[in-house]
Amino acid sequence: MNGAASEAVGAPELSVRIGSLELRVPTLMGSGCYGSGEEYAPFVDLARIGGVVLKSVTRHPRLGNAPPRLVAVASGMLNAIGLQNPGIDSYLANDVAKFADRPCAVVGSVAGFSVDDYAHVTERLAARDEIDAIELNISCPNVGSEGETFACDPRLARAATRAARAVTRKALIVKLSPNVTDIAAIAREVEDAGADALAVVNTVRGMAIDVDAVRPRLGNISGGLSGAAIRPIAVLAVYEVAQAVRIPIVGQGGIETARDALEFILAGATAVGIGTGNFTDPRAPLAVVEGIRSYLSARGCARITDIIGAANPAFKGV
Amino acid sequence: MPALSTTPAIHRTVVIDRREAGPGIVVVGLNAPALARATHPGQFVMVVPPGGERAAVALGVYEASSERVSLMVATVGPRTAELVALRVGASLDVLGPLGNGFDLDALGDDVAIVAGGVGLASVLLVAQALASRGTRARLYYGARNAAALVDAELFAELTIPVALATDDGSSGYHGYVTDLLVAARPPSAIAACGPAPMLRSVARIAAERNIPAQLSLEEAFACGVGACWGCAVGIDRASRQAPAFPEPAPGEARAYVHARICKEGPVFWAHELRW
Repeated sequence: MNGAASEAVGAPELSVRIGSLELRVPTLMGSGCYGSGEEYAPFVDLARIGGVVLKSVTRHPRLGNAPPRLVAVASGMLNAIGLQNPGIDSYLANDVAKFADRPCAVVGSVAGFSVDDYAHVTERLAARDEIDAIELNISCPNVGSEGETFACDPRLARAATRAARAVTRKALIVKLSPNVTDIAAIAREVEDAGADALAVVNTVRGMAIDVDAVRPRLGNISGGLSGAAIRPIAVLAVYEVAQAVRIPIVGQGGIETARDALEFILAGATAVGIGTGNFTDPRAPLAVVEGIRSYLSARGCARITDIIGAANPAFKGV
Repeated sequence: MPALSTTPAIHRTVVIDRREAGPGIVVVGLNAPALARATHPGQFVMVVPPGGERAAVALGVYEASSERVSLMVATVGPRTAELVALRVGASLDVLGPLGNGFDLDALGDDVAIVAGGVGLASVLLVAQALASRGTRARLYYGARNAAALVDAELFAELTIPVALATDDGSSGYHGYVTDLLVAARPPSAIAACGPAPMLRSVARIAAERNIPAQLSLEEAFACGVGACWGCAVGIDRASRQAPAFPEPAPGEARAYVHARICKEGPVFWAHELRW
């Protein structure tokens, strides 16, 4: 009891709000990297990770891309999974009920190939009590040009967001692509269309070639680059988006340590996403949270919200 | 393959011995009693990188006695170089045991074990388990050259006949290890681990002779725990290892689905793979 009392007095407050979604700690496990959470439950107390963004689900079943789907590259990895998933019908019937007992926030992820897809899948998934919020994946780089088109065209980004917004009142997080000329312009459209928050960013398009076999290493030829290699790209994207919108940002891209996460928070992110970082050590999210806590304590900050955007003079704020 | 997995955990281990087995190949012994008890032949671990900077490395569990687990590490890049450089006394965190191992009950009474290179690391426990059951087994073991043929004597100690092959003829048969399999009397079943070209050859031989074969697929994993779906392989929809997946829409009917090598595997029946 004494320990709990002293912690209550001394420990900085790490809880944040992403729209109506409340997180005890400001970390979300990135979609497609964390399964449904249960895969990591033997190694990590899920009550301490904030939340998990589930693997994206689409209207119809998808077998996913032909292997190889992964390549390790300098300071990161390329992936091209191709949105393998059982489709929304099977997902609702067989999978979603299992998410009810997760001791963390559960964010459903919706991918699509038309505005109607986004509306249809969002409406049905968000209707389930097991799902606390929706992430709209308009930026998958691995399903042909259609997948990422929505994040690369301001009008389509607006249309997909508006369609999803119309069918749910749960927190709606729209995941943006770094593979654009002006991410701030896309962010403004998505905010204006009714998004509660933005996830910044998805993977960066890339490829690797096997020079001995004289062919691309990925079955899909191109893939999404993640890991430390993309962190500076992602930090800048958060910095620029945070100057353009007022809604919260979930900053992500190569976060492995607390200091990595703090870069995003100081640039203007309210919470951070951890994906590839879990592949190095499943305890990475716990170390990130502890490190943020220590950083705040050392600076005499009572709460994380004191430092959001602190390194961004034009931060518009939440 | 029936579910031959066990509940994994993070094991904090200490390096208790270290042996140079061949050029760039080191066997690292770890004090890990709980992991040793839980591991089934053919399962693997994800090794958390000691430097914390690189992705975890998947390694088959080589030996598992009462207190000790060992891993065979071949230097192929910076991640494995970091493990090869580990000294006695260093601490090492590993996640495991992971995946589904070999189904020993389904191998019959005259088993051919086929190993290529450091694929040997995934079949020593198989050989030990078969020996302790009194099941007849033999090892066909191939590598690039004589120096890369390591630890065959551990199989010989089990009184398992060993046939060697090298690509350059510097030891044993001059040619592929699968040539030895072709020339041998047909076994009741095959248990194999090695590089993909060798496994594909084993699968072809097994199909031609109607011999059941269990293959442990070697693959670079990202998560190793079934979360990312990065290590996919095509598998018959009817396989017991096939993940539940809805029928595809009419017109795109396909008889296979993608299984995760790290979760549904790494050991699969050769005749069920669509690769």
